[in-house]
Amino acid sequence: MNFVRQSLALLHVGLSGVAARPSSALTILIGVTCAVGALVSMLAMGAGARRQEMGAVRADHVILGKTGERPGQSDISKDESAVILGLPGIRRGDAGEPIVVFESMTFIEGRKRGTGTRIYFPVVGVTSTVTQYLPELRFTAGRMFHPGLHELIVSNPCAHQFTGFELGDTRLIHGVAWTIEGRFDQGQAQECVVYGDVDSIMSAFKRNTYTSVAVMLQSAADFDAFRDAVSSNPALHLEAMHESAVVEDEFKQLNAILFFVAYFVGSIMALGATLGAVNSLYAIVDSRRGELATVRAIGFGPGPIVVSVMVESLLLALPGALLGSGLAWILFNGLAASPLGYSIQLAVTPSLAAIGVAWALGMGMLGGLLPALRAARVPVTMALRAR
Amino acid sequence: MKFLPLIWSGIWRKPGRSVLIFLQVCVAFALFGVLQGLKTGVEQLIGQTRADVLLVHGNLALFDPLPLALLEQIKSVPGVKVVVPVELFGAIYQTPNQKLGVVAVRPDGDWLSAFTFTIAPEYVAAFRRMRTAAIIREGVAKKYGWKIGDHIPLLSKTPQKTGSTDWAFDIVGTYTDSDLGGGSDTLLINYDYFDEARLADKGTVKHFKVAVSDPALAVAVTDEIDRRFANSANQTLTESMRELAQSQLQSIGDLNFLIRSIVGAVLVALLFATATMMMQSTRERMPELGVLKTLGFTGVAVFLSILAEAMTIFVAAAASGLGLAVLIFPLAANIVPGLSMPLIVVAVGMACAVLAAAISAAVPAVFAARLNIVAALAGR
Repeated sequence: MNFVRQSLALLHVGLSGVAARPSSALTILIGVTCAVGALVSMLAMGAGARRQEMGAVRADHVILGKTGERPGQSDISKDESAVILGLPGIRRGDAGEPIVVFESMTFIEGRKRGTGTRIYFPVVGVTSTVTQYLPELRFTAGRMFHPGLHELIVSNPCAHQFTGFELGDTRLIHGVAWTIEGRFDQGQAQECVVYGDVDSIMSAFKRNTYTSVAVMLQSAADFDAFRDAVSSNPALHLEAMHESAVVEDEFKQLNAILFFVAYFVGSIMALGATLGAVNSLYAIVDSRRGELATVRAIGFGPGPIVVSVMVESLLLALPGALLGSGLAWILFNGLAASPLGYSIQLAVTPSLAAIGVAWALGMGMLGGLLPALRAARVPVTMALRAR
Repeated sequence: MKFLPLIWSGIWRKPGRSVLIFLQVCVAFALFGVLQGLKTGVEQLIGQTRADVLLVHGNLALFDPLPLALLEQIKSVPGVKVVVPVELFGAIYQTPNQKLGVVAVRPDGDWLSAFTFTIAPEYVAAFRRMRTAAIIREGVAKKYGWKIGDHIPLLSKTPQKTGSTDWAFDIVGTYTDSDLGGGSDTLLINYDYFDEARLADKGTVKHFKVAVSDPALAVAVTDEIDRRFANSANQTLTESMRELAQSQLQSIGDLNFLIRSIVGAVLVALLFATATMMMQSTRERMPELGVLKTLGFTGVAVFLSILAEAMTIFVAAAASGLGLAVLIFPLAANIVPGLSMPLIVVAVGMACAVLAAAISAAVPAVFAARLNIVAALAGR
């Protein structure tokens, strides 16, 4: 009890002295703010990417691809597609048809609004069951494409980011004009997605196989049975995967890079801030030598001194963490960045702010340790004589 | 000269503090070097790519096939020196994770002028002679231990006429490539052999590489090629290698705002920390400075000695920090192959260090210069 009382008393003395040394406290505050702000805003890119990737993922969605190949780059023949329709566990649509979407994906060129930068985005040929497969898909203008015609529907982010996606706009694909007939929103997704009729797309690009097949199950619990039905069917050389696993795999590299960059930059800045904190706390301890020697002389133990300096350091680092996270939120939340060709909306989430706070406490702890030990080792007689 | 020992002892007056400031500046400039190096390095890479080599591809997508028959029409455009048909496909060697990019070219005439490859002439001659010849990128040859004369089996999704998806090539040489795109695990094979042997898509190419006779004509040639195929079933899009690199590396350019913010934050935090420290240490030295002034040191001399102390620490620390950045740069450059640390970044970094030292030492130095002797000696 005595230990705690002594620590609290010393902490009180220390903190009331902060006002007399505003620049040292400010050094710690600004250093920690910058380090946490940088870390949180870099991590926000990863969080935004993840939110975007996983936004449309559903547990009852299954993707079929050739065994050992990436879905989206597979060749699935029309013979196989007929077999897939007869598999068990597939949810039925309003008219009793199985909700299976046959897809053929290709990339075509678009121009960014404003800058005119070229970017390639996916055009996915789909069967018209797609509207039942994606219940979040809502048309905000126009209508669904008609099968067999050269019509496209686009998600709203396309129209915001690129030129040529207004209703009625046409694009030439192999000499044939395709018309934009509908615009839709898909939940929170910020990705640009373009859909057209799969048969029209395949004939335009002279293909005769699908690149992947998406299936909606009756319930997520049917997955194991469905996967076994696919792998045990001798007519199919396919593999069934959870949609989340496919998306995860697709973005593994991007996520790894973003994660690495965030922690690389965050660690270096934290190192700098910690060094600054050590220096400031040393200065504070030095200017309090006489005071510390006095309290030692009247019977305070070295333990409470260490604790009080450490806690003071933590308390000085904490506002920096909140300020840093706050600044990251104000400056970057919702901002669209497109690192490595992906368009990402930065998302500063509470969990990132928590990481920022933990990071700051780490800096405060490490920064306070050496000065605290020094404070506890002030030689009483010498310090008092030096006054 | 007599100031040197004074400055030196000033730095080591509180060794712990000086070392900490040194480390702080060092860390800040290491980060500055890496981030700024990435940004400037990418811009420089784009500047180095060739604007006189054009790539003609379908206007829809980079990998949409074009008929080989366009070759003659492209050749007839004034200003075109060489046209090389290029077909690309992926293959694997032994296991699925050992992927290779196969580049099929027609090695006619001065074909090498449309590429950034460096190949020994005897390899080129052997490549022309043998239909199944392959020239391997040096890194790949080393990776798999391939030697000239080896017969390498590859597995591809592109079937042969026989229906088999096994391909085999004979290694006749190695090459290096100064271009930054296109992946590093590549080999070159003969287009004519490949086109004859494959089952489907015969007579098509992924793109044509075009070298222009005069770099000044590049823009005119670009427009003329696209004009010739406008409104046909095979509309083309012609771009210089530089434009292509620009759009490929654009994505990193989009990070500029973030990089600028971070570099700004680092420098602001650093300046504040060091300025505070300098002020603190000057205050602590008031009696000593008072003694110096009593001995006849002028205000200017005291000002300069404080400034010189800061300069010494900052310049030494920034130099080590930037040196560290150069050392760790290859790690960061993994994202962009071929990236190297631009010297200009080091120079700008050093200039920033001098500026930062001047700013953070300015207030304490002025304070020291104006110090009143009596007050200073009394420690007030």
